[in-house]
Amino acid sequence: MKIQLSLLSLAAMAALFTAGCSSPETKPAGDPKVETTGGPSTGKKITVCLLPKKKGVPYFTSCSEGAEEAAKELGNVELIYDGPTSGDAADAVKLIDQWTAQGVDVIAVSPNDPAVLGPAMMRARDAGIKVITWDADSAVDTREFLVNQATAEEIGNSLVDSMAKDLGGDKAAGDVAIVTATLTAANQNEWIKYIKARLAKYPGLNLVATKPSNEDQKLAFSVTQDLTKAYPNLKGVFAISSVAFPGAAEAIKQGGMTGKVFVTGLSTPNDMRNYVNEGVVKSVILWNTKDLGYLTVYAARAAADGVLKADGTLKAGRLGEKKVVGDNVMLGGTITFTKDNIAQYNF
Amino acid sequence: MKWLRSREAALAVLLILLMVTANALEPKFVTMRAQGLLATHLWELAIVAVPMLLIIIAGGIDLSVGAMVALAAVTLGLLFERGTPATVAALVAIAVAGAAGFANGWFVAKLKVHPLIVTLATMAVFRGLAEGLSLARPISGYPASFLAISQNNVPGYLFAGFALVTGFVLARTKFGRGVVAIGMEETAARFSGIPVARIKLVLYALSGLACGLAGVILVARNNTAKADLGVGLELEAITAVILGGARIEGGRGKVLGLVLGLLLIHETREFVSWHWKQNELNLIVIGSLLIVTVLLERLLAARR
Repeated sequence: MKIQLSLLSLAAMAALFTAGCSSPETKPAGDPKVETTGGPSTGKKITVCLLPKKKGVPYFTSCSEGAEEAAKELGNVELIYDGPTSGDAADAVKLIDQWTAQGVDVIAVSPNDPAVLGPAMMRARDAGIKVITWDADSAVDTREFLVNQATAEEIGNSLVDSMAKDLGGDKAAGDVAIVTATLTAANQNEWIKYIKARLAKYPGLNLVATKPSNEDQKLAFSVTQDLTKAYPNLKGVFAISSVAFPGAAEAIKQGGMTGKVFVTGLSTPNDMRNYVNEGVVKSVILWNTKDLGYLTVYAARAAADGVLKADGTLKAGRLGEKKVVGDNVMLGGTITFTKDNIAQYNF
Repeated sequence: MKWLRSREAALAVLLILLMVTANALEPKFVTMRAQGLLATHLWELAIVAVPMLLIIIAGGIDLSVGAMVALAAVTLGLLFERGTPATVAALVAIAVAGAAGFANGWFVAKLKVHPLIVTLATMAVFRGLAEGLSLARPISGYPASFLAISQNNVPGYLFAGFALVTGFVLARTKFGRGVVAIGMEETAARFSGIPVARIKLVLYALSGLACGLAGVILVARNNTAKADLGVGLELEAITAVILGGARIEGGRGKVLGLVLGLLLIHETREFVSWHWKQNELNLIVIGSLLIVTVLLERLLAARR
């Protein structure tokens, strides 16, 4: 009798192997039905999966609210918003593989590690699923389009300009440092490139270090503490991830350096409200996160319908017509939150 | 019908129930294509769980498996980064993890420190080494020929071979009987001439080697070596072993039970996040699964 059981479980394992060996049948790519212009689209019901870098942080929650809004408006999009609560790239891969197995229509990825997620995104594409990136990009062959919140140049310039303004305008002088997400995070690296380029405009500002915080607030805290000790002339810190920013600000606050060292970076108003009101942070830069989620769902719908074209335009509901530059769907524009206007925003 | 009372029967019943339910609710889930795609994430846990089973049968435990996986991954990454061919780096990585496991075994067998304490300490030390050596940097960019070792179910076949050999060794060899005897009553085993220390050394070293292999597979599948790979793997492996019917105090446990336990954990996990689309639910479900299995086993036993 035991032998029967052994055989049963062996058969089950064997089934798993053979399943993996058979090549996946590809679905016919794209939906031949072309969406009529204007108003809610009339195409068939599709499933769109929205993957954040990390689930449960205000930034991505705010994006998902905009995505929900767009899905409701379109009426023919079932939206799945899920991601690793740990921020672990391997967990994100599991989700992508699972969605691929389910045969969803579109997967929109904000890759927390492009190298790790790339192979899974390729598997999804091989299975005939439309893959786009949003919020952050990965290798060009792993996705069709990127929904780009703002050009790296816009962000780099805004960061440096507001830092210079906070430190006294054109005559701003002192050491500045960057606390980034991970050293491999693609869009942070692009921003750093433009931060460096823009710093040339302010000869008094001297970039002394670029440190990773690995999307860990505690690490951002200790890294910033170390920076203030290592560089006594430090005047400003660019904390350029939504997790690094509060960590860096807390280090300045607890170190009693409020008013001496200013932190600026990208974050949601809710996350940074107290630091702005306390004067640790003078300006917070961001794009409109809700609009980013909203635009991503519209782009996903258009990609599924096969009407999203490089160098074209995309009709995106209340956002109006958005430009597609190359394969980047552009949201565009940054907002700067300061003591004066932060009370108006709640996300 | 004695076998009906076994843990294996309880697991098989649950597995069949799960797949029938899954078929009714999500027909796409029970297809070869879907199962093949989902299976890729099972193997490193499965490979690590086999020596864990032997260690638990022998009355020990190894909490450092996740950390040894990370140590192997980082070793591979750092060597590759410095120009060593990926396959050579992988072999060295497996050897390093094997040495780490041997160190565990040496503390447990020769210095007679409780394995919970030894591996709790080395869990921190190995993870710390991995983080320190790599400076917590991810290392990517391996050649396609290396990435291929995680494809086409190569890890699955490795596990199958590993499990079959272990099942044979456990049931049919002097070594296997020694492992069970140590778990039953260590002093008695020693008096009856079983080389207790040597067997323990071999078991922990084996665990290290398996972790090395799992680390290499993880790096190949993710195309990235990172110091935080395999976090929490020790608890998953122990859960699978216990779910498979091994006695945590030692002396009892079967490879068949482990295989069924692994399958049940895997299928439940995948089905829950497939159907409810909430990744977080998994933790609750795996915990509940452990309790349900134990209760079902009692129920089956009582119905005799």
